Amino acid sequence: MAGTSQIVIDQVSHTYRPPRGREVLALQDVSLEVRGQEFIALLGPSGCGKSTLLYLVGGFLPATLGTIRVDGKPVSGPGPDRGIVFQHFALFPWKTVRANVLYGLEKLGLPRAERERRAQAFIDLVGLHGFEESYPSHLSGGMKQRAAIARTLAIDPEILLMDEPFGALDAQTRSLMQSELLGIWQRSPKTVIFVTHDVQEAVYLAERVVVMSARPGHVKAIVDTRFGCSDPSVFKSKAFVDKVDEIWGLVRDEALKAQGNQSP
Amino acid sequence: MARVIWRIAPWLSVMAVAAAWELTARSGVVTPFMLPSLSVVVARIWSDAASGELVANLGLTLYRALAGFAIASAVGIPLGILIARSRPVRWFFDPIVSVGFPMPKIAFLPIVTLWLGFHDVSKITMIVFDAIFPIVTATIAGTAAVDREILWSARNLGASDRDLLREIIFPAALPEILTGLQVALPIALIVCIVAEMKMGGVGLGGAMITASRFAESPGVFAGIVEIAIVGYVLVKVMAAARRRLLLWHQEVLAPATV
Ligand SMILES: Nc1ncnc2c1ncn2[C@@H]1O[C@H](COP(=O)(O)OP(=O)(O)OP(=O)(O)O)[C@@H](O)[C@H]1O
Ligand SMILES: [Mg+2]
Repeated sequence: MAGTSQIVIDQVSHTYRPPRGREVLALQDVSLEVRGQEFIALLGPSGCGKSTLLYLVGGFLPATLGTIRVDGKPVSGPGPDRGIVFQHFALFPWKTVRANVLYGLEKLGLPRAERERRAQAFIDLVGLHGFEESYPSHLSGGMKQRAAIARTLAIDPEILLMDEPFGALDAQTRSLMQSELLGIWQRSPKTVIFVTHDVQEAVYLAERVVVMSARPGHVKAIVDTRFGCSDPSVFKSKAFVDKVDEIWGLVRDEALKAQGNQSP
Repeated sequence: MARVIWRIAPWLSVMAVAAAWELTARSGVVTPFMLPSLSVVVARIWSDAASGELVANLGLTLYRALAGFAIASAVGIPLGILIARSRPVRWFFDPIVSVGFPMPKIAFLPIVTLWLGFHDVSKITMIVFDAIFPIVTATIAGTAAVDREILWSARNLGASDRDLLREIIFPAALPEILTGLQVALPIALIVCIVAEMKMGGVGLGGAMITASRFAESPGVFAGIVEIAIVGYVLVKVMAAARRRLLLWHQEVLAPATV
């Protein structure tokens, strides 16, 4: 699939219509094409609709207007081809860490030994060794987040939708997880849409950074951020710092607008 | 030391009531017919137990109450989940539940007796109709409150519609479902006793009415004490079951905090 567009988001709008309270136009006319095996980062001020866009691509919510196609087929519901890591983890609280990770593997119908092996491998990968039998309510926020990442990575989806997946992690763990994610992406290439508030992280991980406008969200700018080097030393290079500054400027403008929107 | 005091504190109140009962009965303010002393009542329970009468009555009452409770759970939990999940089912059953819950179901006793006779079937039917409402309403509330991201992540990991009900919604709603069951179990016992009193026959309630007909007040009070103990044990067993089933739940971590 590399090279051609795997995810095509075409003029998509989404309006939340809560049973009570006012309607919210969360996304307006969003168009974006993501190539197969591309790593995209999504930046934008809080409340601009990043999570909503992931929900639409994941097939959890219908687009109010416009269409989303994955591999040429319109999205009509969720599926294990598009693995998602939710912003609020959404672990199954009645299952242990191991059982959480095993759930998707069971649905894949893998043989028992293979399931156990894979679950353990991903639990180790996210550094939760020793907490396999813990319930989510006994874990810290960052540990829950890593458990959720392991659960999604374990089913090896072709497309990864990650909603601020490292948001609850300390700088050290975050940096480790970033390299792990890049490693996985390089070993078994997949298409990634990665939501983050961290401009450095976006520039470091992604091939292209999509900056969204304040609500109603649409694509404000797309910036190419390929450096041909995933070495952490890249952080200090001039090109890297300039890119971060450029994107930071775009994000800040929108964040200021979003602030202004708070009291209409 | 403080731990020991808090351990026995609940028993102190029970012992205080028991002592007050015994003293009042012996003081001569009331006749033994109006209030037999606790020691007489205990002796009566003891002799009932020795003759095997207690076991027979207790067994039948428990059988009816638990059978009714089991049927109410087996029907009420799936029904509650369906009402919360399916719009047509909700439209049909919501009014029935809203009207039926506050209604005094015991008022139907004569009709049920007319239709089903005096035997266990009618008693168990009464129990089911009373116990099912708290189960259904708690299950609806629990199911409706399941976080949508949890449902979505299950879907995302490949859960089918059926998997979703059994593997995700039921366990996610279990804390509230258990609360409903904890309310329903004493109701099942209460309705069982009342139905036995009204319809007569073997059972703790029936035995009390028989004793009352023969103006035998120790028998009546023995029934009250027996029912209190049975109720207490049932409530405690349910609470223990809850702790076992909700090991994963936050509430199990710190049961004593507010
Ligand atoms: N269930 C909902 N009902 C009504 N409005 C909603 C709902 N969920 C989100 N919204 C609105 O849609 C807009 C976009 O929300 P979304 O969660 O997609 O933002 P976000 O970009 O992910 O923000 P953050 O960075 O804070 O996570 C918000 O302004 C919010 O008010
Ligand atoms: Mg979000």
